[in-house]
Amino acid sequence: MSNIRILVFALLTTFLSTGCTKKEGKADYGLPLSETLRINILQEPPSLDWSKSVDTTSSLIENNIMEGLVEYDLNDPELSLVPALATAWKPNSTASIWNITLRKGVKWTDGVDFTAQHVIDGWERLLNPATASQYAYFLFGVKNAQKYNEGKITDFSQVGIRADADGNLVVELEKPKGYFPYLLAHHATFPIRKDVVEKHKDRWTDPENIVTLGAYRLKIWDHDKAIVLERNEGYYGEKAKTKYVLAYMINEMSTAINLFDSGKLDFQSSLPSRELRQLRSRKEYREAGTLGIYYYGFNTRTPPFNDVRVRRAFAHAIDRKQITDMLAGGQIPLSGWVPVGMFGYEADRGLKFDPELANKLLEEAGFKDRSKFPKIKLGFNTNEDHQRVAENVQAQIRKNLGLDIELANEEWKVYLASLKSNPPSIYRLGWLADYPDPDNFMNLMSSASENNHTGWSSKTYDSYVDKAVSMTNKEERRKTYSEAQKFLTEMEVPAVPIYSMVSQILVSPRVEGLKENPLTRYIFKGVSLK
Amino acid sequence: MMTGRLNLAFGPPLAIFWLGLVVATFFDVSIPSFVWWSAAAYTLAGAFWHTIRYGMLAYVGKRLVESLITVAVIASATFLLLRVLPGGPFDSEKALPPEIKAAIEKKYQLDQPLLVQYGNFMVGLVQGDLGESYKYLGRNISEILAESLPASVQLGVYALLLAYLIGIPFGVLAARYHNRWPDHLLMALAISGVSVPSFLVAPILILIFCFGLGWFEPALWDGPAYYILPTWVLGTRAAAVIARLVRASVLEVIKADYIRTGRAKGLSESTLLFKHVLRNSLIPVLTFSGPLIAGIITGSFVVEQIFAIPGIGKHMVLSVSNRDYPLILGTTLVFSVILVVCNLLVDLLYAYVDPRIKLNV
Repeated sequence: MSNIRILVFALLTTFLSTGCTKKEGKADYGLPLSETLRINILQEPPSLDWSKSVDTTSSLIENNIMEGLVEYDLNDPELSLVPALATAWKPNSTASIWNITLRKGVKWTDGVDFTAQHVIDGWERLLNPATASQYAYFLFGVKNAQKYNEGKITDFSQVGIRADADGNLVVELEKPKGYFPYLLAHHATFPIRKDVVEKHKDRWTDPENIVTLGAYRLKIWDHDKAIVLERNEGYYGEKAKTKYVLAYMINEMSTAINLFDSGKLDFQSSLPSRELRQLRSRKEYREAGTLGIYYYGFNTRTPPFNDVRVRRAFAHAIDRKQITDMLAGGQIPLSGWVPVGMFGYEADRGLKFDPELANKLLEEAGFKDRSKFPKIKLGFNTNEDHQRVAENVQAQIRKNLGLDIELANEEWKVYLASLKSNPPSIYRLGWLADYPDPDNFMNLMSSASENNHTGWSSKTYDSYVDKAVSMTNKEERRKTYSEAQKFLTEMEVPAVPIYSMVSQILVSPRVEGLKENPLTRYIFKGVSLK
Repeated sequence: MMTGRLNLAFGPPLAIFWLGLVVATFFDVSIPSFVWWSAAAYTLAGAFWHTIRYGMLAYVGKRLVESLITVAVIASATFLLLRVLPGGPFDSEKALPPEIKAAIEKKYQLDQPLLVQYGNFMVGLVQGDLGESYKYLGRNISEILAESLPASVQLGVYALLLAYLIGIPFGVLAARYHNRWPDHLLMALAISGVSVPSFLVAPILILIFCFGLGWFEPALWDGPAYYILPTWVLGTRAAAVIARLVRASVLEVIKADYIRTGRAKGLSESTLLFKHVLRNSLIPVLTFSGPLIAGIITGSFVVEQIFAIPGIGKHMVLSVSNRDYPLILGTTLVFSVILVVCNLLVDLLYAYVDPRIKLNV
């Protein structure tokens, strides 16, 4: 009996000692700590198929294992484009035909040479209705692309992309679009290996099947736990400085911060807003303006917001600074429509806080007697931050206009459905740039926009947006956007911008070369570890 | 007909063996899959043998048929309720052009009449095909479930063991010292255990044990140092409920005539309490165990989120906000199947714990 006891004791101590030893110098998956950048990507990437994915988590990984024809210079505040798979891109005089020179000598991870056909295959796949890609509309500016996507033509050679005799690309657009080169940096337009996709079908993005050409390659994809990227030794450019990127999928922000504090994470890209005041004082904290806006839209179909004077009164009655001060995350009050840091941004654009004028406008609109004002609802999707902003606006409207607003929150998808069918009098939404061009924001309020839930539309406004997008002269373009913004945010006011967005991150002191940027596009090849 | 009594040569050694396996997983000892499979096969075979031996085959058969019907009803109800829920899987902040949305809906057959979709779903279900996720492109639902269930089951089993290990003795002690200070102390603990939410307990424990003492890891799922805190948080809540149930039940049994007889015959207080009283007090605990086990091993969203455990709890909740219909159906089915099986097992165990209960048809 005593022998058995000794055995059990021995076993237990072995278990305990093996189980509890901390792995010094090693990150998870046995990776060497000194060569592993440990980041948190918040959630399982829904897909690493770059023709299909639509979320930021997936694109973060895709942007590090793949490359587009062009890439952003993230050190440049203007986000100019630099060569990637393309070495030059030149428009004809009307910017409707683009000649794109491709880099020679680029190899995929399986050793195959990169060619123009891979780009054409990528675009064909994106536009093919059978792919059902949500980003297909990205290329609708290309000649016949929309028709191909809608199945109206089935011959892809009619779509405006082809390879010339030198193996370079020629792209023909329906209409000139100044922002076209930006699209070439987006993962939806990346080249693809059709043979690999066809061979492995839905499994083609598994680590053992996927073929890429970026600075990193996909080594491990442990679903719902982590992704490991390894340096691609065959990368055409300067090789990645850190050998591995270990990306955890930790959804709970406070959990991630705990891991960061216990030295298990080097980079956390999303911080809990309630803790920002305290986090901001830390040396690991960094923030950067993001190309995104937070706004309230009016339902202009019904009273009282069918009256432009009421809309203006509300725009004058909200002190945006009070809201950004409360949020304390570095957000910048915004009254124009283009976010801070983007071409076309104007600090003076839009209606400023002026409660006196607001009251005057409201009285002109026939609401001297406030009790005659219809009951209005302010809608937002259930979320603590949106709740805080909504309560603040509610209090400001009560104080500055003497009106009561009812707050109504709904679960996200229910809210989206209500916006389509029956939007509340005032609704909250935001917009993050797909590409750093004002068109991406100005288009939001055009008549054809699926994202304009105000019921407001204007031919004048549409013509501004249409005109500006094809302009090649930068100054003329800036002027047109200025006029369009004036029309939108000062005269017609179908929506009130509140603030320009900011991203907050924590970066460990051992990380060097990780650049925060307005596109929250994190590229790890230049990151080194101390 | 005889009532079921588990063969002593079968039950206890098997239970100890399983316990050994569980303890081994806790210390991250890798166990070859054939050990798991043979243990499962032996258990099933033994259970089957007992079912026949004690004439419960018809009863179990009837219950299994009933269970199938229950699961089918749950699947159908979930399927229909999902379609009543406003908002679809492909609604997003950046609204899609209608033609693209139509193409996507066509791909996932969401453009078909509801009845056709329902038919396809049920046919797939019978063939064991739960379809593909709308959110995680190209990933099969069965695959997602198979990848996320193990961590939840692992945590769940540890938490359950802890819950019974603490809950039952505490309940007995509280009853034994009824209305004296151990009773008051234990019940105060139990009430706070039930009422203090885990999202409050967990951060406090993390603060003390990870950042204060440095004993455990604050999150992730990679060894004993990671397992202890989540097990503690999840297990003690269940322990609190069990302790209260046991106490109430023991207090009732302790007054029974046969206990007085036992005492008069000179049985020691501990023999009485742990052999005669306890066994007869376990019926309410057993009743509670069905839903408890199903609930705990299918994952706790809050605990899994706080400790970043890659379990199924997250899918249970997030699939709904994503309107990922196939995944919602998958997680619902997993939960209902486990619940139905646990309830059946509990009913069978009644007969073992209490010979007065007969389970014949």
